[in-house]
Amino acid sequence: MRFKSPLIAISAVGVLALSACGGSGSDNSGSADQTKQNENIGNTGNFQDASAKGPVTISGAKTGGIVTVLTLTGVQTTIDPSEVYYVDTSSILSGLVTRSLTQYKYDPSTKQMILVPDLATDLGTHNDNYTQWKFTIRPGVKWGENGKPVTAQDVAFGMTRCMDAATFPTGACPYYSNAYFKGGSKYKGMYTDPGSKFNGIKVNGQTITINMAKPFPDMPYWGTFPANGPVPSDKTVSDPKNYKKHPWSTGPYMIKSFNQSKELVLKKNPYWEASTDPARTQYPDGYDFKLQQQSEKIDQIMLADTGTGQTSLTYDDLLAPDFQQMKQKAPDRLTLGGSPCTYYWAPDNRKITNKKVREALSWAYPYKNVILAGGLIPNVNAIPATNLMPPGLPGRTAYNVTGRQGFNSDPAKAKALLKSANAMGYEIKFLFRTDDPISVKGKDAIVKGLTEGGFKATPVPTTTANYPAARDNTSEDINVRSAGWCSDWPSGSTWLPTVLGSTDPDKSHSFGANFSAFGNKAADNQMNAIQTMPLEKQADAWNALDKQIATKYFPLFTTYYTGIAQAHGSKIMGDNDDNTLGMPTWKDIWVNQ
Amino acid sequence: MGISATELAEAPVGAAEAPEGKKLAGRSPTQIALLRLRQDKLALACFMIVVLLILCGIFAPVICNLLNIYPTAATIPYDPSQVLDFNTGLPLQGPPNHGFWAQHPLGLAPQTAVDNLARLLYGLRTSLFVATAATVFSTLFGVVLGLVAGFSRGWMDRIIMFVTDLFLSFPFILGALAMSPIIVSHFAKPGQLGILSKVQLFSLIGILVIFTWMPLCRLIRGQVLSLREREFVQAAQVMGVPTRRILFKELLPNLVAPIVVATSLSLPAFVTAEAGLSYLGIGITGIPTLGQTIFDAQNWWEVYPLYLWAPVLTICALVLALNLLGDSIRDAFDPRTRR
Repeated sequence: MRFKSPLIAISAVGVLALSACGGSGSDNSGSADQTKQNENIGNTGNFQDASAKGPVTISGAKTGGIVTVLTLTGVQTTIDPSEVYYVDTSSILSGLVTRSLTQYKYDPSTKQMILVPDLATDLGTHNDNYTQWKFTIRPGVKWGENGKPVTAQDVAFGMTRCMDAATFPTGACPYYSNAYFKGGSKYKGMYTDPGSKFNGIKVNGQTITINMAKPFPDMPYWGTFPANGPVPSDKTVSDPKNYKKHPWSTGPYMIKSFNQSKELVLKKNPYWEASTDPARTQYPDGYDFKLQQQSEKIDQIMLADTGTGQTSLTYDDLLAPDFQQMKQKAPDRLTLGGSPCTYYWAPDNRKITNKKVREALSWAYPYKNVILAGGLIPNVNAIPATNLMPPGLPGRTAYNVTGRQGFNSDPAKAKALLKSANAMGYEIKFLFRTDDPISVKGKDAIVKGLTEGGFKATPVPTTTANYPAARDNTSEDINVRSAGWCSDWPSGSTWLPTVLGSTDPDKSHSFGANFSAFGNKAADNQMNAIQTMPLEKQADAWNALDKQIATKYFPLFTTYYTGIAQAHGSKIMGDNDDNTLGMPTWKDIWVNQ
Repeated sequence: MGISATELAEAPVGAAEAPEGKKLAGRSPTQIALLRLRQDKLALACFMIVVLLILCGIFAPVICNLLNIYPTAATIPYDPSQVLDFNTGLPLQGPPNHGFWAQHPLGLAPQTAVDNLARLLYGLRTSLFVATAATVFSTLFGVVLGLVAGFSRGWMDRIIMFVTDLFLSFPFILGALAMSPIIVSHFAKPGQLGILSKVQLFSLIGILVIFTWMPLCRLIRGQVLSLREREFVQAAQVMGVPTRRILFKELLPNLVAPIVVATSLSLPAFVTAEAGLSYLGIGITGIPTLGQTIFDAQNWWEVYPLYLWAPVLTICALVLALNLLGDSIRDAFDPRTRR
C-alpha cells in the first residue's frame, strides 16, 4: 500500500518504540515488553474472528460531539472507493464511510487488529485450492443516501467497477482483482470497454461467488479494501467523474461536504444499524477533516489542548521537538505504535550491477544523519531495519545479511568493499527536492556520508511536484531511488512480488513498485510457486525467499521501518494505532463531553 | 514621495543651518543634505549599524576561518550524529540545554549540526549581496527608462509606460513561484548542482529587479516631464546639445534626490523580499540565507529560542536601520522639512 501522500517518500515519518529487531544495539527505549510488541507490528495474521457480531458497544462511551481531524498531507488523493490505495483515504473510508466484504477490528487487550466480517456474514468460504471464494451478504444494510437496501448485486458491481485500470489508474485492483480473478487479466473495465462482460464474479441471491484464475488464499484480507464494497449500480450515480466527489455511504457516517484539499465533513448515516456491523460504532455526531493544515500549527493545537483542540486529533506525526514536549507534558495524549512500512534505498540493478557496490552503499549510507536531518524520532517513527518485510508479518524472522548493526554506518568498510570491487569513486546519482528543506538537508547528509565511504555523490535536483514522475521515469539519469512500501495485509505476497517481482522496466517503461529494477526469473518462479503452496507454509516460505534474495543478490537495502507519533486532544477517547495501516482506530473513537 | 526636483534646483540656501563663519553661497543641495544627515544622530547610529553588518557580511569567510566554524552541512568537518543527541536532535554541548560554548558562540543548529554563527554570517552575506545587486539594477532600469520615457514623450513614452503598467499588473509572488520550478527542472541533470545554485541566485536577483523597477521609472518620468519644459533644458536644446548629454548632464543631476531616497528605501525592501522568498522555499539551494534559517528555526522556537532569535534579530536590525536611514535621507533631501 502506498503512503499517505505520494510526496512523502523521504520526509515521511512514523512511530513506535522498538529496539531489538535484528539485534540492533538499542539506544534507550527497548524494554523486553516493547520488543515483543514491536515484533507484532501489523500482525493480524493469527487474529481472525469469523463469528464476530454487532452491535459493538464501548463501555462508558458517550454519544455526541464533533471530532476535528487536522492533517497537512492527508486526503490529497481520490476518495472513490474503487481507487483508494493510500493509507489515509483507505483508513478513513473503511473506518467510517464505506463497508466492504471484510474489515479489521481493534482488540485493546492485544493491541492488534482482528480480521472480522463486514458486509459478508463470515470471512468467506473457499474450495480446497483457494480458486473459488463464496461470500454471503448480510441483509439489513442500507444506503445512507436513499435508505434503500444494499444488495449483493451492488457489491458485485463495486468489485467489478474497480477492475478498470485505465479509469482508476492509482487503485489497487489491477494488482489483485485483475491479477487473481478469473478473466481479470483480460478484462479492460466497464468504462474503458463498455461492451464487455466480466464473468469472474457471480451473484446468486445473497451469495457472491468469485472464481480465481490462480489460488488466492488472501481473499478475506483483500476484502477489507473499500474497492471490494458496494457501489450503486445506477450509472448516473456511480459515474467515475462524479462519484469521487461523493461516494455513497454504507458505514456509520456519510459525506456532508467534501472540498478537495480543504475540508471533508462527515455526518451520521441515519440508516446505519449497529446490529449489522461487527466492528464500527457511531458515537460522535460527526467528523470534520481539516486538510492542508501547517504541521507547526497542528502541533501547537495539540500541545495547547484548549477549546476545539480538546476534541481534535491528527494522524500526521508530530515534529521531533514537539514530540519531545508532548512526551513530557501529556504522554497519555500520544498515539504510538507500528505501521507496516519499510523505507529503502533502491540501487538501479540495471546500472549498479556489482553486488559489492550495492553492499558498500549500505555501509556508507549515513542512517543517523539522515534521520536527524529528517526530524525523525529514532525508535519511535524510525526503527533500524534489516529485512525488507517489516516486523509483524507472519513467519518473519529477522536476518542480517551484511552484519551492519542498527543505524550504524562504516565508511571504512564501504571503502574496502569498493576497493575489492575495483570501483573506488563510484558515482551515485540520486534525486532530491530543492523546495523541500528536509530533502535538501537529507541530501547534504547523504553526500557527506557517501563521499566518506569512497563514493562520488551526485545529487540531482528536482522539485516536489516533479519528483514522483522523475523517480518513476525508467530512463532518468539516476542510479539510486529512495522508496517505501507498506503491507496491504500481513503477508509476504504483498511485498516480494510487488517490490522485487520483475517488471522489465526497459520494455514496459514502468517500475511498478520495483524501484530497484530487480528482475530474476528464478526468483519470479519461486514467488509464483509460493502462492500455490498451502496457506500455512506460505509465511515461512516468503520470509525464506526474502532472505535468499537479500543474501544472493542484495538488490536493495532498507533504511528504516516506520511507526507513528500521532496525538489527540484530551476529550478524544479510543484513538489507538491501527497497525495494519498506521492510522487511528476510527471505529472506536468517541468524545468525552 | 513629495519631492520636487524643481524646488530643489531653485531653493534658496537656508541660512538657518549654515554653520557660522562659513560662506552661504556655493553649496549644492546634496552638500546641504549631507550636512543635515551628519547632524542627525539617529541617522548616524543607523549608518554605523548598517556598516557593521555589511562588514560582517563581506568578511564572513575570514571570520569563520578565524573561529574555525562552517556554514553548511557539506563543509562541517565533524559527524553530526557525534555532536547531536540522536533522540532529540539537539546539540550535546552549548545552547539550548548547556551553557555557553566558546567553540560555537551561537550554538549548533539542531538536526544538521551546522554552526549558527557561521550560517548567520553567510546568510547576511547572501541577503546583502542580493539586496544590493537588485537595488543597483532596478535603479538603473528605472532611471534610464524613466528618463527616456519622460524626455521622448510620443510613441516611445507610450510604449515604455505601457510596459511599466504591464509589469505593475503582474503579481510578484506568483511570478517568483512560477519561475523557480522552471529553473530547477531545467537543471535537473547530474552534475549541474553547482550551476543551479548560481543560476538560482542570479534569477532571484533578476526576479526582484523585474518586478520592482516600475515605481522608480514612473517617478523619474514625472520629474523629467516637468523638468524638460524648464528654460535650462530648452536653452540646451536650442544650442544643439545632443540628447544624451541633455539627459545625463542636465536632467540627471536634478534627479539625484529622488533616486537616493528611492534607493535607500528599496534596500530594506529587498532584504525582506529575499528572506520572504527563501522562507517560501523559492529562493536558493545550497547557499545559506537568513530566510531559510528562519524557516528551519521556527519549529524549534520553544525548545531552542536562540536558534530563531539570532536570524530574526539580525534581519530586524538590518531592515530597521536601513529604513530609518532611508527616512533620514529623505528628510535631509526634502526642502520642505527645513527648519
